[in-house]
Amino acid sequence: MSQETLLTRPLKIEDLLQRNIYDVDEDPHIEIPRGSEQEGLPKEALVYLCPAGCYTRIGDEILFSYEGCVECGLCRIISPPDKIRWEYPKSGRGVQYRFT
Amino acid sequence: MSITGKFDVVVVGAGPAGSAAAYILAKAGFKVLVVERGRGAGSKELFGGKVYAQPLRDIWPDLDKSAPIHRWVTKERFSLVVGERVLTVEYSSPRPVGFTTYLPELAKWMADKAVEAGALLIDEVRVDEIVVKDGRVIGVRSGGDLVEADVVVDAEGVNRLLLEKLGLVERLDPKHIALGVKEVLRTGKGVIEEKLGLGKDEGMAWMVAGDITAGIPGGGFIYTMKDMISIGLVLHVGKAVEAAEKGLLREHVSLLLEKFRLHPYFKRIWGEADIMEYGGHLTIEGGLGLVPKKLAINGLVVVGDAAGLLLNTGYTVRGVDFAATSGRLAAEAIIEAFNNGGPSEENLRVYEDKLKSSFVWRELVRHRGIERVMSDPLFFTKLPRLLIGVMKRLYEADYEEPTILDAFIESTSEEDISLARLLFKLGSVVGKL
Ligand SMILES: Cc1cc2nc3c(=O)[nH]c(=O)nc-3n(C[C@H](O)[C@H](O)[C@H](O)COP(=O)(O)OP(=O)(O)OC[C@H]3O[C@@H](n4cnc5c(N)ncnc54)[C@H](O)[C@@H]3O)c2cc1C
Ligand code: SF4
Repeated sequence: MSQETLLTRPLKIEDLLQRNIYDVDEDPHIEIPRGSEQEGLPKEALVYLCPAGCYTRIGDEILFSYEGCVECGLCRIISPPDKIRWEYPKSGRGVQYRFT
Repeated sequence: MSITGKFDVVVVGAGPAGSAAAYILAKAGFKVLVVERGRGAGSKELFGGKVYAQPLRDIWPDLDKSAPIHRWVTKERFSLVVGERVLTVEYSSPRPVGFTTYLPELAKWMADKAVEAGALLIDEVRVDEIVVKDGRVIGVRSGGDLVEADVVVDAEGVNRLLLEKLGLVERLDPKHIALGVKEVLRTGKGVIEEKLGLGKDEGMAWMVAGDITAGIPGGGFIYTMKDMISIGLVLHVGKAVEAAEKGLLREHVSLLLEKFRLHPYFKRIWGEADIMEYGGHLTIEGGLGLVPKKLAINGLVVVGDAAGLLLNTGYTVRGVDFAATSGRLAAEAIIEAFNNGGPSEENLRVYEDKLKSSFVWRELVRHRGIERVMSDPLFFTKLPRLLIGVMKRLYEADYEEPTILDAFIESTSEEDISLARLLFKLGSVVGKL
């Protein structure tokens, strides 16, 4: 990426996450249901507020991918407990912060 | 986790709170195990950037010599932002009380200190449960492994999964929680000194309020590191969820941060500095709302963020020094408890007494309610608009400028602010300071 684009327009979340180091676990540490089972999840909030952009909207449904997760815990505290399985990754996996 | 034997104390979490407790206990000859889920201490840590030094010196007297101190904060700035208009106040002082650092670095230093003092640290191990038997905490479980201890110190941070499972606290209420997002920008040598008028070891802490949070209570921060600048936004989670669900928030939180990075007034400082890291973390809005009813039970004490001990006044954040101090006080209470017959609930509750007569508690009580004031739209939206409106009237007139009083009156009526209400509210804030 050239320096010019760094100054001229905002980076997308995917590009921001590229700056980080991860050791992604094979098993997801967070799971949400699919389809109509998603009723009750704060979809808009998950899409706009998950700092890692793990939640994206496809029509009425939201898709979740755990790979970029920074383990903040936000989705856990804003979702009904029976609609999300949330754990920290095991064995030191996940995000590896250096400068934060 | 294949650790055998029984420990006097098991500490969950190698953050500032856990490592302070482990350090004091190990130094006193206790057999201490620290269990950390991350790869080495600090790898899961994210914060703003400024730490109060004196409470840390009380624990680690060699802080100034050996801690990863980036810069001593000699300049504090506060800015109000409305669009491209910015009003900034700067305070400069020769007597810095805080320094800037990265929390991964500082937490690693603190954990190393505990290990040097004789504590055992095992990382990459996630504690899954605090184990209770016959009405007392007897240790911790990770997967199929149980480690027994006379006392468990819960220093798991703001996401209190273990305490929730134990039933000691309720699920985190989003109204007490804020989300922080942060970028670390590599400015290169000399840029910080030149652009911000700082000496070689001098640093700046800069808080920003206004429309950079898109109408959600919260604000921005800027901290100077050695050759990098940390910038970030903090948003009230309860209000942010409401805004998103009502369709009032239509931008991803990372885009709000990127817009802050690219704001014409601020971007001049870091220019085309590369982004080295991006992340997010929850924090406590402030106040006493998250303090558990009991901070000590039979065989367990709760310290740091897990105990809800954080002060956020809007112009300063005290989490690290509060956490470390609570860890120290818990360790001192545990030592006393052992000297007085053992870690029964009654003996461990000395920790509560110690905490409640410490500066941490006094600060929290003194500023009680400030988080509610800070998340009042009158303050985070209207006040910036009002003051920027006054400045605009005073400085942007081509021919005739109003008197300050007229500018003020025009501005309040444009923003539809009741002067009486504003003065009343301001009075209540000043009363808290
Ligand atoms: C955006 C933001 C800005 C901030 N700015 C500042 C600031 O400028 N100055 C300041 O003083 N404070 C600031 N804070 C607050 C400060 O970071 C915290 O108050 C402080 O880190 C709390 O320390 P702690 O030891 O209690 O918890 P933490 O630092 O969160 O440490 C908890 C540790 O426990 C580990 N852990 C958690 N669960 C488990 C488990 N089940 N098993 C094993 N290990 C586990 C974690 O990996 C972590 O290492 C900020 C916080 C945020 C989010
Ligand atoms: S824990 Fe945080 S980063 Fe991870 S998916 Fe949930 S909201 Fe996103």
